[in-house]
Amino acid sequence: MTAALKLLAITHRHPGAEHPTLTEVDLEVQDGQMVAVLGPSGSGKTTLLRVAAGLEPAESGDVLLDGTSVLGVPPERRDLTVMFQKPHLFPHLSVLDNVAFADRLRGRSRSQSRAAAQRYLDLVHLGDLARRRPRQLSGGQEQRVALARALAASRRVMLLDEPFSALDTGLRTSMHQLLAELRAALDPTIVIVTHDLDEAGLADRVAVLVEGRIEQFDTIQALYTKPSTLAVARLVGAFNELPGTVESGVHHSRLGAFAVPPTAHVAGRAILLARKERLALVPPETTAALTGRVVQVRQSGPHRDVVVELDRARGDDRTRVEVEARLGTTLRPGDRTGVLLPGSGELWIVPEPGVSATPPPPARVSDSAPRVHATVTDASVATRSTKG
Amino acid sequence: MRRTAHQPNHTAIPALVLFWLLVPLTPLLLWVVASRWSGTARLPQDFGLRGWQEALDAGMLTALVRSALLGLAVALIATPLGVLAGRALGWRLLRRPALPSIVLLAPVVLAPFAVAMGLDVVILRLRVPGEVAVVLVLSVFALPYTTFTMRATYLALDPALEEQARVLGASSRQARRRVTLPAATTGLVTATGLAFLVGWSDYAVTLLIGGGQIVTAPMLIGSSAAGSGNDSLTSTLALSASLPPLVALAVFTYAASRRRTAAHS
Repeated sequence: MTAALKLLAITHRHPGAEHPTLTEVDLEVQDGQMVAVLGPSGSGKTTLLRVAAGLEPAESGDVLLDGTSVLGVPPERRDLTVMFQKPHLFPHLSVLDNVAFADRLRGRSRSQSRAAAQRYLDLVHLGDLARRRPRQLSGGQEQRVALARALAASRRVMLLDEPFSALDTGLRTSMHQLLAELRAALDPTIVIVTHDLDEAGLADRVAVLVEGRIEQFDTIQALYTKPSTLAVARLVGAFNELPGTVESGVHHSRLGAFAVPPTAHVAGRAILLARKERLALVPPETTAALTGRVVQVRQSGPHRDVVVELDRARGDDRTRVEVEARLGTTLRPGDRTGVLLPGSGELWIVPEPGVSATPPPPARVSDSAPRVHATVTDASVATRSTKG
Repeated sequence: MRRTAHQPNHTAIPALVLFWLLVPLTPLLLWVVASRWSGTARLPQDFGLRGWQEALDAGMLTALVRSALLGLAVALIATPLGVLAGRALGWRLLRRPALPSIVLLAPVVLAPFAVAMGLDVVILRLRVPGEVAVVLVLSVFALPYTTFTMRATYLALDPALEEQARVLGASSRQARRRVTLPAATTGLVTATGLAFLVGWSDYAVTLLIGGGQIVTAPMLIGSSAAGSGNDSLTSTLALSASLPPLVALAVFTYAASRRRTAAHS
């Protein structure tokens, strides 16, 4: 099947820049699919979209729409449209005429264009505001009109560049619902650039872009449970990191030995990842629990994050784990607690930065392999969260 | 209480401004309907339209038409150039905008007589016809007004509007014609008006470069004020030259306020 949009080995460098903004980026979007490009600020997300739209030239690589290269084609003749972070409504036109703009350019009559535009405005629940001027709209309404205008352009692919990032949480949620409604009704092909994991979760697949390279292209569930690199894990956030070494399918660290999940193909220096919500706080006397002292309790949305400094830490090293606890937790800094790590099915492992993933080792320890707690010396477990 | 305390300022200040503008015009308004007004009398002794008849006989209508054509020609040249320069300066499309800004401001900074005298010599040697020369020189004088008006207009407009138009299917020319220029209408009208006024009200350049052969409304007013001693004629000519721009300004302001009202309704 031919992809609706295909980016092939796109490399882009801003004029005078030493390092490329994008390096050999490949991305494939199937017809009717929604793909999110997720990345931190400065990772090259917007540049990737601009290259696809023809607003920035690629240093090398190709952009294909339905299998045909459009690299030398100007933006207006590429069968795609862009909705930017700012709505960019044309101030001299009414809301209706903004939405009818693309049809008017195509030579359709004013009445035909307006009739079609009215239908798209109804779809975004703004049919009553057709005669208003853009300056009379709220921020959320402006973005809805911009979305209606992009849909009315009836292009093969819609590129959305962080379209809802300037809206408050409530409005953003309602825009996400609207986008889901529009997908169900019109089945458009969409690429959305975002740094918001919730927004990326709307997409069928997510491409994680870090420092101009695609680190992982997968479902959002896979990003949360099986990040391919430490950079992806840190972008997704909420992972406890435990550096160590993988030998014969077992990760060895100062906290002990843990069976490596069978689908993780890593050997040598590697970092064991445990999501904070998979760890459990238990009474300190619980068998097999690590013990320690609570050093911090933070409110995190509807949960509380409890940071525990493990007893086994020694010298200058502070072995800390972060555990997501329910709201009712009565733990306070200074309290003693036990921490239970999950089984290997709920752990994940990534190579240390600079170490490439390897094929699965010949010998593996099964998921049910007993955990052996070695003496903790200077292992450090860190939790990173980028979502705030 | 606060509202009533502040209310007088809202009406008093505009009233004072209006008074300041109207006081100098009062004798002018009286002279255009006076047949006789001796220097010692507070008000004209005889009223009539003698001044108007004399103004028509002096070629007032032809001069007004010539001034209008001159203003139009200057606006037609200086406005598009001002749009281009204002766009480049407002959207920071130039790497070094300081030098073009200084060059564009030069005609305003330098004394018009000095510039006109200097250009007169050049134009004479190049054998450029007088009318063309006056239009060209006045366009240079109008350019700073159109450029800096459009610069301010483009500063307030997001250049990304053109990119948005392009990804909706507009060529770069269509994006300018259908999006940014219409969005800049207010600035465009102001720039055109200013350029028109430079041509309409010019005296020095028309006199020096036109060599007295191009009789515009300001030339007629100047010669009447300088030599005739006929205050009624001079006032009538002055009022005739002032009315068209004032009417145009009133129409533009009314249209702009209507647009604003329509937008807010």
